Amino acid sequence: MALAPDLVRRFEDALGPGGVIKEPEQLRVYECDGLTGRRVVPSLVVLPETTEQAQAAVRLCDEAGLPFVARGAGTGLSGGALPVAEGIVISLARMDKVLSVDLERGRIVVQPGVANLDVSRAVEAAGFFYAPDPSSQQVCTIGGNVAENSGGAHCLKYGFTVNHVLAATVVLPDGDAVRLALGDPGPDLLGLFVGSEGTLGIATEVTLRLTRRPEAVRTLLAGFPSMDAAGGAVSDTIAAGIMPAAIEMMDRLTIEAAESAVHAGYPAGAGAVLIVELDGVTAQVEDDLAAVEEICRRNEAFDLHIAADEAERAAVWRGRKSAFAAMGRISPDYYVQDGVVPRTRLPEVLRRIEALSQQHGLRVGNVFHAGDGNLHPLVLYDGAVEGQAQRAEELASAILEACLDAGGSLTGEHGVGTDKACAMPLMFGEADLEAMKRVRSAFDPRGLSNPGKIFPTPRLCGEVPGPYRAHPLEKAGLAERL
Amino acid sequence: MPSAFEPRTVAEAAAFLRDAERAEIGVTLSAARLDRVLEHEPGDLTCVVEAGIRLSALNARLAGHGQRLSLDPPGDPTVGACLAADLSGPLSHRFGTVRDLVLGVTVVLADGTVASSGGKVVKNVAGYDLAKLFCGSRGRLGLIARVALRLHPLPAAARSLVAPAGALPALRTSQLAPSAVDLSVPGGLALLFEGAPRAVDAQLAAARGLLDGEEADPWAELLAFQAAALGRVPFDGLDGPEPPFLARRDTAYVTHEVDTAWPPLAERVRATLDPEGVLA
Repeated sequence: MALAPDLVRRFEDALGPGGVIKEPEQLRVYECDGLTGRRVVPSLVVLPETTEQAQAAVRLCDEAGLPFVARGAGTGLSGGALPVAEGIVISLARMDKVLSVDLERGRIVVQPGVANLDVSRAVEAAGFFYAPDPSSQQVCTIGGNVAENSGGAHCLKYGFTVNHVLAATVVLPDGDAVRLALGDPGPDLLGLFVGSEGTLGIATEVTLRLTRRPEAVRTLLAGFPSMDAAGGAVSDTIAAGIMPAAIEMMDRLTIEAAESAVHAGYPAGAGAVLIVELDGVTAQVEDDLAAVEEICRRNEAFDLHIAADEAERAAVWRGRKSAFAAMGRISPDYYVQDGVVPRTRLPEVLRRIEALSQQHGLRVGNVFHAGDGNLHPLVLYDGAVEGQAQRAEELASAILEACLDAGGSLTGEHGVGTDKACAMPLMFGEADLEAMKRVRSAFDPRGLSNPGKIFPTPRLCGEVPGPYRAHPLEKAGLAERL
Repeated sequence: MPSAFEPRTVAEAAAFLRDAERAEIGVTLSAARLDRVLEHEPGDLTCVVEAGIRLSALNARLAGHGQRLSLDPPGDPTVGACLAADLSGPLSHRFGTVRDLVLGVTVVLADGTVASSGGKVVKNVAGYDLAKLFCGSRGRLGLIARVALRLHPLPAAARSLVAPAGALPALRTSQLAPSAVDLSVPGGLALLFEGAPRAVDAQLAAARGLLDGEEADPWAELLAFQAAALGRVPFDGLDGPEPPFLARRDTAYVTHEVDTAWPPLAERVRATLDPEGVLA
């Protein structure tokens, strides 16, 4: 829908001629993010270069009652950057500068459009890195990471984006800019803001913690006859008090797909593959590696390989990180889930997924962060075959419900966005969601900042919410709901 | 007239707060008797507790499974107090402060609403993280009733070292991986190494050479400093106008009082959760 010409002119005045996109064919570039099944062409796209320009754009939205959606690289998998038809997209792509580096204090200040990997690149020569490493790290931006509280394979040890953001300048939905920092008096607004999926405002400057590169890194690749055997090795590793940097598991289907795509050297015929990465001080890594090898052997590992050098290590990870894309080789379409289960419930949930897969007549590939129970089941289907897309969606929903039944979560790192907003009532009760909405209203009383995300709406979900099940904390407290 | 109300269940706390009359007369609502461990699944390295449990009681229970909550503020506060007052200790260098260890929370708002956020799994981005919002909330946003926490294995060995404060830059560019680093002025740099015995010994030897330090056990003294501090400020390095007497990670404990007034945005959040100002 086109905006009034004088309003467009005011955006152009505020952002300069290069800062506004209004041609329909150019606007279409912004119609979706990584969740490509949902598309909405925005009315206008603006690209601020400074916090002040972002403020000016947001103020114009506030004046005109216009919804806005902030966007980084558009790699999100939950439709968090899906535009609103009557609204604008605020792209942070031109705010892509590293502003300052302070190695002595281990921090870096960046604009939100800086790519995740470029933060590490800026400091790698000095022996530092930025720990959160989502699979899309070559392109995804810090602004998007902050919005989604992105994780990555190594967050088992290093934590998520929220654990590495020290401060942020945030443009609030009324156009005011505030600085939120760790250690501010009162409630942890920075911790609330990180992961709020663009619904509380737009980060325009972010201070990140830098991490010293560990003395030693060892990566072990092990083939197992079955997922159960590999799962046993994971449990025993954790029970031994070992805290690897990453533990990733792939099943037969994803191993075959990844192998045919990038020839990562995964063991042939394995029912499951484990990647265990240990890092830290050398003596600790050596001791832990020996223990993990022993544990793998005890759990029927038939092929154990420790990466001899950086090239071998990169090959191991290339296989893992290519798994999603490799699915394209064995299936025309796939749908990625992001459910989480308590680690001890992994074996039973994997068996349940297998049963659901057979019941729905669709293949499911499993590639996931086994150390923290974050599953990424890939539901394979062919959208050209009548009814398959629908069946895939039903299967995906059934998988999420299995995760919640086990005391888990709808999403471990991809975010709720538009994709899972309608499933939120499966995990949270009305009072929980109301409390969150009250918090939101303190930031955005008119609901202009990324509307239609996180919270279910009748328009999005119909009038019938799914059956509520007790929140894990409620169950723990003898399931009271008042 | 009772001066404190100590509910035994979350439902009792909610009923109390729903009754505005009783809440208005200046009664203290205490979580002291909400002190049970509700769940502890060792294989998940997580637990769910009621907020009134003391750290000593929780850690005694976890130790039987070779685990701990890596949070070591001075004294023996309750888990709820750790969240409400944002309490932490030397271990925050490696494990973060309480905000980094909390996975989920159930709170009772001023109107008696019981709301949960987060969950009990270590990785979860569904919905707003109210657990973080309640860190540092000092009881003004609601009663913290239940908390889900991330745990860590107990280390097999631990040794400490004290070095001159001037060794800080050398430490920062080294690949030593201490669990705790406190900077006390005057006095020096206190480091704690934890892990496998061989690794702890190797690190201590390396640190001794690199930082010119000696083995010592400074922690009780540093925690006493922290307990006596009047304020806490962001730590911006030793060259500030008033050097802190104890600095760790991102903050410093100082001997003067600091402004603890909430920023306007935080007050706005408070006003939406407790519009009538029932909670002092």
